[in-house]
Amino acid sequence: MLRSTLARRLRPLLACGIVLALLAGCAGGGGGGSKDVVVAGGTITVSMDVHKVSDSPSFTVLEHINETLYVMDEQGNVKPLLAAELMQSSADGMTHTIKLREGIKFTDGEPFNAAAVKVNLERILNNDLQWKSLISLVTDIETPDEYTVVLKTSAPFAPLQFHLTHGGVAMISPKAIAQGDEYLASNTVGTGPFKQKEYQKDELVVLERNDDYWGTKAKLNTVTFKAIKDDGPRIVDIESGNADIAVRIPATEKARLENNPDIDVEVTETLRILYVYFNVNNPPFNDKRVRQAINYAVDKEAIVNSLLGGAGRPQDAPMTPAVFGYSAQTPYEYNPDKARDLLRQAGVAEGTKLTLHHPTGRYPQDAQVAEAIAAQLKEVGLDVELKTEEWANYLEVTNKPANENVVQMAMLGWSTPTMDADYALYNLFHSTQHPPTGFTRGFYANPEVDRLLDLGRTTVDINARKQHYADAIELIWDDAAWLFLHGISELTAVKKGLTGYVLHPSERILLHGADKR
Amino acid sequence: MRAYVLRRLLTIIPVLLGASFLVFASVRMVPGDPADVIAGDAATPEVKARIRREMGLDRPLIPQYVTFLGKAVQGDLGTSARTGDSVARELAAKLPNTLKLTVIALTLAAAFGVFAGVISAVRPNSVFDHASMVFALLGVSIPVFWLGFLLMLLFSIQLPKLFGTGPWLPPTGSGSWQHLIMPSLTLAAFSMAIIARMTRSSMLEVLRRDFIRTAWSKGLGERVVIYRHALRNALLPVITVMGLQVGSLLGGAVLTETVFAFPGIGRLLVENGILQRDYPVIQGTMLFITTAFVVVNLIVDVLYAVLDPRIRYS
Repeated sequence: MLRSTLARRLRPLLACGIVLALLAGCAGGGGGGSKDVVVAGGTITVSMDVHKVSDSPSFTVLEHINETLYVMDEQGNVKPLLAAELMQSSADGMTHTIKLREGIKFTDGEPFNAAAVKVNLERILNNDLQWKSLISLVTDIETPDEYTVVLKTSAPFAPLQFHLTHGGVAMISPKAIAQGDEYLASNTVGTGPFKQKEYQKDELVVLERNDDYWGTKAKLNTVTFKAIKDDGPRIVDIESGNADIAVRIPATEKARLENNPDIDVEVTETLRILYVYFNVNNPPFNDKRVRQAINYAVDKEAIVNSLLGGAGRPQDAPMTPAVFGYSAQTPYEYNPDKARDLLRQAGVAEGTKLTLHHPTGRYPQDAQVAEAIAAQLKEVGLDVELKTEEWANYLEVTNKPANENVVQMAMLGWSTPTMDADYALYNLFHSTQHPPTGFTRGFYANPEVDRLLDLGRTTVDINARKQHYADAIELIWDDAAWLFLHGISELTAVKKGLTGYVLHPSERILLHGADKR
Repeated sequence: MRAYVLRRLLTIIPVLLGASFLVFASVRMVPGDPADVIAGDAATPEVKARIRREMGLDRPLIPQYVTFLGKAVQGDLGTSARTGDSVARELAAKLPNTLKLTVIALTLAAAFGVFAGVISAVRPNSVFDHASMVFALLGVSIPVFWLGFLLMLLFSIQLPKLFGTGPWLPPTGSGSWQHLIMPSLTLAAFSMAIIARMTRSSMLEVLRRDFIRTAWSKGLGERVVIYRHALRNALLPVITVMGLQVGSLLGGAVLTETVFAFPGIGRLLVENGILQRDYPVIQGTMLFITTAFVVVNLIVDVLYAVLDPRIRYS
């Protein structure tokens, strides 16, 4: 009897299940209509306020909306965008004149003019906003006429034009700014080829074409940026046709995805490098020979080829070739014998115990790279203990002032979004940037390097500037301030049929000119 | 009954006070400076100082806590240091999603779990009993993220490929009821298994009791004996387990939401709160989850009283 009751009870359930499955079968995902593109990112923008965000996924979204005065192409050339021509700097390098394009409007109808530029730059300067450091030498902003802005700096400031290409100083409509910070956290208005349509914080942003755009209009109707933190689901998203672009493909998935007839895997050399710094305050790393020995002991080619599937470039300078001021050095070739020699000369005993701090999940294969380094250092007689830290904790541990700092070696990455050597070197090698103030976390200090970096900052002549940086890089390289590892390449999966997109070395995806078949 | 409920309601206050202090203190004990994480690589000390000031971290601990509590009582959970948005609004935006997920998962788990448990107990050692207990064992043992990923591969890639269609179910995101199917099944699996096993053992025990034998001997029908006499008595431990499952569902939601990139409070807590050291987000979300857990426990206690009159007088 119970069995018959059971069967009777089960029947509707079964029916429901079948109907559900059938209905679900019709729920084809697809990247929407033909001119709609879905980008599956690890994260989307942290906020809609371009002056307050700091990471490239945020800029990827917002630079379709908020434009900058100047722009940097993939080759690192500066071009005017909202400015009408390149910046004119006075002979003393302290007065900088910017002519603006005329007749541009923000998508809320506000005119783009000198007053708007002033409102934006003052907002950043007066409120200590994220990217203040880019323009911190600016002391005065003058607007002699509607389309001219004159910036006065407290010292000659050569990289200013490079810095004005950075998304962190992009233009927001003054009317939107007037509505206050909380409004700007979830709403933005710009002059760009797209405008904000929908924003679900941390989940997705939908942009739609700005039909009144002043330049070449976009071909896509909408662009949706989705946040999918885990690699697996992000790959499923593009494999199932749910997304058109999936970022940060792990090297281990590259070969498999390349076999998929519907997907291309693009490799982009980014502006980010990976390195291990030495705490030069304490033995044994206060001895240059030890630092050099470690550079000889680690096989960077092998790390890139075996752990990253070739998605990287062994370093020959403390920056990538796309950055202005780059100057190639002779790499420390893999030579364990030489490493042992140098260690012996420096009096480092066989079996010396060292620690290497490293993050996990922050950079491609970071923990595996750290393991490889430890294994290779063991070959030359160094016993390296790995200390894995979660990111937030990691930042704190590595940022302690000298007397509390217990780090010996630590892995970090650095990206140079301004594509200028000042940003690449000053933060990382100038002795004013020691913890807890700056990012020279290994306490590296070389007065000559300091002098050259200061000169680089203030020299207006491009060739002279380049030379200062070349000289500084030579010293840094010889000092072996870091274990120089590799430049990181990004793997991006793109559905076939999408054209005209730009995978920028600054880890941004630009869809201004993209089209979809 | 009313006095009983009132008494239980009053005990919530110290529990929540204690929990709020624990949450507040523990986030500050975890190493990692929020300003470091939020400000990013190239931030100047001034930027970091601004962030600390905005978060109120430049003040002593106790005044910070008092401010937090005072505002929380009025429903103001503070402002996210990372995004500048109000935490209450962030919670309100994500909560409906997590609620949908949890309610569907709990319903599925309760319906299928009790059903399978009862049938298994009534027909012990039958094929159904063995099959459902194997599934229960699997449900308890399979990690949530793995199960979710397998479902995703099956319904979004492999089956569509086999039949040459588009994805049967959207692998990630939210917005339609199709988006809820895989996450809620994934989330329900563990609880379903626990409830099935609990119901089975509880039922087996009750079915051996004297009053059931009496009921049979009175000539009552199978349905009456099983559902009215046995199940009602067997449900008490099952309801306890269900109450506890609400907690583990909220916890499991963190993993499920991450796998399916589903916008709920679990991901808000982990990805935006803990990993970014965004104290207001952690505090607000934890406080909310604690409150939900306490309230559900209260409901469970009241349900006991309804099911078992003896409890009201204890």
